[in-house]
Amino acid sequence: MAAYRFIGQPAERPEAQDKATGKALYIHDLSRPGMLYGQIKFSEHAHARIARIDTSKAERLPGVRAVVTAQNTPEIRLGFLRDNLALKRDKVRQFRDEIAAVAAVDLETARAAVALIEVEYEPLPGVFSPDEALAEGAPLVHDLLPDGTPNATNRLGLEFHHRSGDVEAGRKASRFVAEGEYTTPLIQQSCLGTAGCLAEFDGNGDLTIWAKTQIPFLAQRDFTAALKAMGLKGKRARVIVPVLGGGFGTGLDTHCYEFISILLAWKTGRPVKIVYDRQEEFACLSPRQSARTKVAQGCDSKGRLTFRQIDVVMDNGAYTSWGATYPSIMLLPATSLYRVPNVRFDAQLVYTNNTYCQAMRGYGNPEVTWPIESNLDDLAREAGLDARELRLFNCNEPGERTPMGLKITTCGLRECLETASTRIGWDEKRGQGGKVARGVGLASLVHVGGGGKIYRSDGSGIILKADDYGTVHVSYGGVEMGQGLHTVLRQAVAEALGVLPEAVVVNQTDTATCPWDVGTHASRGAFMACNAAILAAGRLRAKLFPLASEVFASEVERNFKQREQRDPKYRRPELDLSALSRPENLELEGGRLFPKDAPDDPCLSIEFGRLLRAIHFRDAGTVFSAEAFFEPKTELPDWQKGYGNMSESYAYGTQAVEVEVDRETGQVKILRVVAVHDVGRVLNPVTLRGQALGALAQGIGYALYEEVKTERGRILNPGFTDYKIPTAGEFDFPVELVFVETNDPAGPFGAKGVGEPGLVPTAPAIGNAIFDAIGVRLKDLPMTPERVLAAILEHRSSCQTEDEQWHSR
Amino acid sequence: MRAERAYHRPASLAQALRLLAAEAEGARCIAGGTEVMLQLRQGRRPAPAALISLRSLPELRGIEIGEAIRIGAGVTVAELIEDERLGTLFPCLKEAARSLGSAQIRNAATVGGNLANASPCADLAPPLLVLDARVAIASAASVRELPLSDFFVAPGQTRLEAGEILTGILLKPPAPELRSGFLRQGRVRMDLALASLACALELRDGVCANVRLAAGSVGPIPLRLRATEELLEGRALQDERIERAARRAMTECAPISDVRTSKEYRGTLVRVFTTRLLRALRPPQ
Amino acid sequence: MTAGTQSERQALHFELNGNEVSALVDPFARLIDVLRDALGQTGTKEGCGEGECGACTVIVDGRTVNSCLYPALDAEGRKVITIEGLMAPGGGLSPVQRAFVEGGGIQCGFCTPGMILSATSLLERHPDPDDESIREALVGNLCRCTGYLQIFEAIRAAARPRHPAGERL
Repeated sequence: MAAYRFIGQPAERPEAQDKATGKALYIHDLSRPGMLYGQIKFSEHAHARIARIDTSKAERLPGVRAVVTAQNTPEIRLGFLRDNLALKRDKVRQFRDEIAAVAAVDLETARAAVALIEVEYEPLPGVFSPDEALAEGAPLVHDLLPDGTPNATNRLGLEFHHRSGDVEAGRKASRFVAEGEYTTPLIQQSCLGTAGCLAEFDGNGDLTIWAKTQIPFLAQRDFTAALKAMGLKGKRARVIVPVLGGGFGTGLDTHCYEFISILLAWKTGRPVKIVYDRQEEFACLSPRQSARTKVAQGCDSKGRLTFRQIDVVMDNGAYTSWGATYPSIMLLPATSLYRVPNVRFDAQLVYTNNTYCQAMRGYGNPEVTWPIESNLDDLAREAGLDARELRLFNCNEPGERTPMGLKITTCGLRECLETASTRIGWDEKRGQGGKVARGVGLASLVHVGGGGKIYRSDGSGIILKADDYGTVHVSYGGVEMGQGLHTVLRQAVAEALGVLPEAVVVNQTDTATCPWDVGTHASRGAFMACNAAILAAGRLRAKLFPLASEVFASEVERNFKQREQRDPKYRRPELDLSALSRPENLELEGGRLFPKDAPDDPCLSIEFGRLLRAIHFRDAGTVFSAEAFFEPKTELPDWQKGYGNMSESYAYGTQAVEVEVDRETGQVKILRVVAVHDVGRVLNPVTLRGQALGALAQGIGYALYEEVKTERGRILNPGFTDYKIPTAGEFDFPVELVFVETNDPAGPFGAKGVGEPGLVPTAPAIGNAIFDAIGVRLKDLPMTPERVLAAILEHRSSCQTEDEQWHSR
Repeated sequence: MRAERAYHRPASLAQALRLLAAEAEGARCIAGGTEVMLQLRQGRRPAPAALISLRSLPELRGIEIGEAIRIGAGVTVAELIEDERLGTLFPCLKEAARSLGSAQIRNAATVGGNLANASPCADLAPPLLVLDARVAIASAASVRELPLSDFFVAPGQTRLEAGEILTGILLKPPAPELRSGFLRQGRVRMDLALASLACALELRDGVCANVRLAAGSVGPIPLRLRATEELLEGRALQDERIERAARRAMTECAPISDVRTSKEYRGTLVRVFTTRLLRALRPPQ
Repeated sequence: MTAGTQSERQALHFELNGNEVSALVDPFARLIDVLRDALGQTGTKEGCGEGECGACTVIVDGRTVNSCLYPALDAEGRKVITIEGLMAPGGGLSPVQRAFVEGGGIQCGFCTPGMILSATSLLERHPDPDDESIREALVGNLCRCTGYLQIFEAIRAAARPRHPAGERL
């Protein structure tokens, strides 16, 4: 493997000092002259007709500058099915529906004004689960489809299917079969920095919006469409991304509150900021999609997998957003985790009056890896096989093409399985549960590692501009949300161009100055940005060397003269300067230009900035920039067939966990974790560890205690008091991280995306360890102590029943 | 037009009591602020017209250890933990204090505030109950004391009358044979207790005397489990007796199901904690 | 809550990061409101407003508190330190800040000011804390990005600067 100067190094984050000193400006900290504060009135019913909205008292409150409702604003539709409105008219379909909003001179006044808005509702019966919504006579959440035609069912027309091989034949050919039904709950992304935006129109009627977004350009598209709907056709939308207090998928939507702040800014002629407080974040921002999944898998007598059948039903909530498209990623583990010849995957969505859902890290992969990997352990047990051996026997290998059509280039799964199981002590510890309820379990993952084509372009543009000081300014349209994108991008530019990372500055993400990027999701950020950087750096170098060649001799002459002045005894070396200065003989590395044949002579070395000034400040001088647009060579899958090679590479990994279960309280204590990830190439060990550990923490919360609880559509735990995310106190066990470098040819320097994999296999690894410890299989997340205890008691009584039956023979 | 609000910072207890008497129903006392500020923000109670800060009142500060033990109501939970003498005398109190909230909460929250707030989950209540604590109360006109076990009335309600301030918590020096312990369980490390249990008993010749058992988060107020105490009083802590006591403790509680957990699970925790605490406190078998 | 009627507002004087400051504040204002709005020190963050997440942590008279639950007027005459007030004796980053920057203790950074203040306060009281003490000190500082382990390492590195960065758990 090539040795790199900066790639693989723990380069410091460029923005770390600002964050460590309180200088970093998040959306919460931004202010514009004349700025007003927006607040939204949310629905008080899960399902109701809006009979009347009276905003008169709110309008009269001193300090209020505008009150908007669907009645006094143009209609703005959201969502890829266009079934949502920025401000609701006629009907509310979930508790968090936005009915009205206020802009006022300060937050307290805005809140007081919202409280003065009177809404008369005619409550309607609601439906709060897919079963309820599909029952005969169930009330319809949407009476009309977005195109205005009458609707007949709460089931969405949007469905996902995949068929490969013959699952029935596979089942018949199975010697062993295991089945189960598993559920995963609503999860809150829980960014520490809540959602918000600041919208402002300039004197020309063009919009600038500072947004907590991960999709600046798709958001720009949506906001431009909104301007058109507002009668402002031809006016521009500019999206600027401030420092982000987390993302985890919350920034992949354009949100009602963003359109509302635009409407308020337009109505008042002043900048309007809306920021959610923590309660609004929990109760009014879309969480992670929940799912109910039936899984069946089989194998032959040797343990070769014969079929896999997955049936997913999802509660779509009141409107449609990215939660509805999780099945696009569910297809990956369904079809491509281990080798399975016959696969059937079906996913359906049902409207309810619960909250609708958006993206969250993993995007369906954890939802379906949970049943697949839990069930696979059950299958192994049925077949009398070791759970690790079963997986190794069916392991994916490099070069294979999976039933979904994924082209697996590099694949480190075998090494991940072997390393994880060895280091957790599989052979010594597996199957030892008894007096002390301890066990080990493992689970693997497959995820996209080279982007994810879910839109007509999965591309990223980049511009590199070198200035007269030797600084390279990078404009890239993806976002830094703490994952370390800007950090590794600096390293990649430095490596590919031949300068030091300290000389590279990544500009703020701004649609006005950065080239198009589809969004920072699907673990694609570093993969795309660094690949684009390599292309652009190559182009910049190609422009540079011919021009450097022209000034090389004269700059070297200056060096010699300076040296001679300092040191009268200095003798110039005998050189053929014209040969040395040919473009193909020059190199740029570490921010210096020098001849390849004489890299160490300081008189033959020209610092990058000085070189650029020499090229610039002369007759017919020039300055430098280069751009590139990297579009991966992938396929937008046919979602009806569930087929298409949607990524340039695939990330694999295995996590192994050792747990101890308190049989009397049901508490699960994690004793050790080993996480082994095929990352292609480590770009930066510190940022990579941060991503892997942070994802693991989210995986642990998902497995053991996180859950948005609802009752008839109302969120019962809208706050950290009762929605518990892992605290520092939870991490009292050793975590061993191993990164397997498979050096993927498509990846920048061989790297694969690493943002999401870390939380995908954690829940089933823990569930499998719990089974190893106490012999009970949990199928519903989170595996709270109450659920573990209930499972223990049920298992004990069913064992007793079996004992009784045996004894009464 | 709402009435004007004020934040008062009296310099002495006497001044605070006069202010409280003058403002009558419109005023609330605030010490550490970790509960009152939260309740203000959440609108759980109607906003008062005035807040009277007890934070700096010298009369409410300090821990006196002597023939009697007095913890000033204004002593913070952190100061209670850091007082080594208290930790040695009453381990169950220190353990409960350490489990409360976070460092930031403990640095502000006061012992008096934890009791006066009267949450069924109040972490300091079970250990103070098993230590037979008394509370000292002052008004502009008088002072009085009452046993902590009489202090709680209902969730959020105590026997404090209008115009009264809790000024101190009084404890007896423990008998040399006193053993005490505390157990609690939350969902993660910083959490309200799903259930908590404190136990204190004197062990002489293998037999327990002056058994006290108190549970938190399993009733409208922190509860002394007197029937369970009776089962254990004067007995040796054999396995069967412990098991009987554990089952009795479970039935003595009146837990509810809420967003945090079910009443059945709370009952289970009380049973398990009783067993584990009694086994931990008995002499090694 | 920095509005309030003109006549309601009360005067507040305290020491902020070594400087005497004053403001006119709403009687029920929180310390975080005064810091961020009245005094423009936006380093202290509001993450939940309920004392759960610790993003608002500041140091008052040597103790960490949640400024979202601390009445502003109780800061009268007290010494308050926020993230803006941390620095090394000669200027530049404090040892804890530097350790966070160098050791991967920062990702999105929203929890960072509170986290650094809690870590700073811990090391002032316990210059060489064990792992359990570090975890205990940070229980009230939620982080969603890092999974905490690199934060623990940063604190160990700051605690023992003459040794190489602390061993991993």
